[in-house]
Amino acid sequence: MDPSVRSLVVSRLEADGSVDDTWVGLVLAALEGQVALEAALSGGDAAPRAGAARTSPARAGAFLRSIAVEGFRGIGPLQTLDLRPGPGLTLVVGRNGSGKSSLAEGLEVLLTGDSLRWKERAAVWREGWRNLHHPTASLRATFLVEGARGPCVVSRRWEPEAAFEAGVATAQIHDEAASDVGSLGWTPALRTHRPFLSYNELGSLLDEGPSKLYDALSSILGLEDLVEALGGLQEARRSREKALKEATDARGRLVEGLRDVADERARRVLEAVEGKEWDLAAVGEVLGGTVSAGAPAAELDVLRGIASLEPPDPARVAAAVAEMREAGTAVRSAQETAAARSRDAAALLESALRFHAVHGDGDCPVCGGRGALDGAWSARQKAAVPRLREAAREMDAVHQRAEGARRQWEGLVPLRADALTRASDVGLDLGELTLALSTWVKAGSITDLGALAEHVEAASGPLREAIVRLRDAARAELGRREDAWRRSAVEVVAWLKTAREAVRGAGDLKRLKSAEAWLKKAAAGIRDDRFAPIAEKAAGIWEHLRQQSHVQLGKIQLTGEGTRRRVALDVTVDGVEGAALGVMSQGELHSLALSLFVPRATLPESPFRFIVIDDPVQSMDPARVDGLARVLEGAAADRQVVVFTHDDRLPEAVRRLDIPAEIIEVTRRDASVVELRRALDPVGRYLEDALAVAGTADLPSSAAARVVPGLCRLGLEAACMEVVRRRRLGRGEPHAEVERALGGAGQLLRLLALALFDDVERGGEVPSHLRREAGPPLAEAFRQCDEEAHEIQPAAALELVRQAGKLTAWVRGLS
Amino acid sequence: MRGDVDPRELLGMADRLLRRADPATAGLWPRASALLALQALEATLLRLWKRRALDLQACSMRTQLICLRSYLDDARLAARAGHAWSALSRACHHHPYELAPTSGELQSWFSVVSELARGIGLSPEAPTPGGRSPVRPATAP
Repeated sequence: MDPSVRSLVVSRLEADGSVDDTWVGLVLAALEGQVALEAALSGGDAAPRAGAARTSPARAGAFLRSIAVEGFRGIGPLQTLDLRPGPGLTLVVGRNGSGKSSLAEGLEVLLTGDSLRWKERAAVWREGWRNLHHPTASLRATFLVEGARGPCVVSRRWEPEAAFEAGVATAQIHDEAASDVGSLGWTPALRTHRPFLSYNELGSLLDEGPSKLYDALSSILGLEDLVEALGGLQEARRSREKALKEATDARGRLVEGLRDVADERARRVLEAVEGKEWDLAAVGEVLGGTVSAGAPAAELDVLRGIASLEPPDPARVAAAVAEMREAGTAVRSAQETAAARSRDAAALLESALRFHAVHGDGDCPVCGGRGALDGAWSARQKAAVPRLREAAREMDAVHQRAEGARRQWEGLVPLRADALTRASDVGLDLGELTLALSTWVKAGSITDLGALAEHVEAASGPLREAIVRLRDAARAELGRREDAWRRSAVEVVAWLKTAREAVRGAGDLKRLKSAEAWLKKAAAGIRDDRFAPIAEKAAGIWEHLRQQSHVQLGKIQLTGEGTRRRVALDVTVDGVEGAALGVMSQGELHSLALSLFVPRATLPESPFRFIVIDDPVQSMDPARVDGLARVLEGAAADRQVVVFTHDDRLPEAVRRLDIPAEIIEVTRRDASVVELRRALDPVGRYLEDALAVAGTADLPSSAAARVVPGLCRLGLEAACMEVVRRRRLGRGEPHAEVERALGGAGQLLRLLALALFDDVERGGEVPSHLRREAGPPLAEAFRQCDEEAHEIQPAAALELVRQAGKLTAWVRGLS
Repeated sequence: MRGDVDPRELLGMADRLLRRADPATAGLWPRASALLALQALEATLLRLWKRRALDLQACSMRTQLICLRSYLDDARLAARAGHAWSALSRACHHHPYELAPTSGELQSWFSVVSELARGIGLSPEAPTPGGRSPVRPATAP
């Protein structure tokens, strides 16, 4: 997280007075990353801030000191391009195929591990990265970086036969330990402030469409964090909306399924989810098998009660009936014995004794015997009663047994009334059981044990059958309901899980939407603020480059977002607004691309103090090349600008406009032997060549004698052209006309006429004019250079170079 | 001033300049060898005129090249010689913004000059005693 972006956001929040809104935490968390955002959403505001990954600070202020390339593309044996590390302009000039682009590409591959211009090409292009004439491949560049006590060397080497991707790159800063290239911290800047611009790249950036251009430009603004944060909020919102929609859709399917399940739990789930607000807790309780307090007795409990009914056990019934019968027989037989008489006599005597005790002596109320009841009678009978009781005890046991036997029928059928009273609620038919029971309970009113035994024996069969039938019906219903529910329960469990998450997420939606809307607006504002100075710089460069172009460039803006992001270029042609890029020529498009990308590559935040531009002049006309030279001069004031170019237009403009620059020529011999040399202006270069040829011991003197006059003539021609161009452009003639005049001149004589008299047709006056104005020796030098034969005496070669040097100096001194 | 120089010798020097990497000639070899090859081409024609048409040696190169067609069996070779001459001639004059020719271009022109020399009956071997560079018919790059 770029701290400056965070503080920008915070200050905007403060300016908006939004600091206390509930969604602000989400905006700040989103800036920390997706993990922090989710943490904030789930309630924890302790976003992991301190541990945020931070890349090592970039090695800043890097200038290039040399680029060395070996066995790579057009370069065979090791070749080193030495550069002056510091602000300034360097032109590397070479014909196409001379190996100059291999130097530019080599630097790009060295630092990035790839080359942008290869990316769009076929594989065969990429496979040709090795130089066929040289077995080993390596790239190496030396930089000066701020704060290091010595140079920083980055190198990438390949084993013989190794694939392109298998190159091993290292970085070593003077006395520090060697490390990988990533340790320099340049990786992000290589993308955002890309210091390499190639002709192809400049062309394709505008061709690839407005969104690509947007990406290329917006990356320099360092606002990826904002875009990412916005994306994080959007993602969080979308995932929640999606979850909610999925849970809602799934609820529909669930409800459809549950409607057909005749189960109390299914109905309870339906009740819980049918409304707008889902009662997920209730659904959870149903699934957990717990029933909330106060809920009506569950049907399932009724069914379970009935299902567990015990029918009267036939063995027990038989035993009870037998006991009733036996007890009945025992009562009857005991009544006929002395025990029965004694029992009755004891009862009678006890009653008489109570009568005597209450009423005193008197007649017998039973037999009428006079005075039969008295003290003696009482004493006598009181002694007799225990004897009678003792005799009657056998009879009492028989009666108690009878009573027990009678009661046995009640325990035979333990019916649960609470279950039975709700049986009809669960759809069971109680008719048979009710009938059987009503017969059964008549047993209560039968006193005779024999009759009771008969009744119980007769009524127990139908009752048992009724109970078994009802119980089985309940069991079947219970089983049916369990099966249907079990199937549904699986679905309910699955749905409950998604629904819980969805409901939890839905609670965040409102805050998320507010955070997203705010950040979207803020990001656009910050983006515009940051882009403004770049747009301004680009417009300034365009003013240099447009020259005679009718196209005016107004405001440049980054607009839109997502798939509609684009660079809005306010292009005006001859004052007509709203023109599209289509009206611009290839040269204009390249100029426009340069206008946009030079500011990008030279922003102060970039760790690179160099930019490498490969062939920017390809489709530019001479006037625009002048503008380009001025733009490069401006950039070179505080940047090291290295430009590779395939012809002499830019060097010529640089020399003519007196722009300080170092010019290096690249030539390529057979077998990829590439030669580099510092170049003077063409005049100086030809004369230097002539001197070298005249002086070299390696060349036969006859050859030197033949080559020297030609080289001197080339120098003289170049001097003439320099004078003519300076003079005519100086008085405001258009470039094209000047070039036409020079191209039409042809021979040296006509060129000199143009230089001397500004009239190509006055060649006849040239020799005498030279003799008069420049002196006979220089006139003679001219004659030798102009000779058709191209040959002089070998000994005279050095002298000719000397005189030709004087003559060119004299020509260049013409106004 | 026109000396009768063996064109094969000139071409040999041009070819050596082109092929031998030498710090003393680094960078200057394209123009220098073009100058030599142009002279080799012109000397070849001179040899032809001396044997077949003395009058022509005084004519302009343009005229000589046009007439060449009538003196060569191979009309295509005559056309290629014309093209090579104008290309070499262009390389021997300063033109705005143009850089020196590449080694590939030079080799293709050299091979035309070499073929022309053979075409007019000069043996491919230069007769010079120390001549260590036979003109190889350079293959096109």
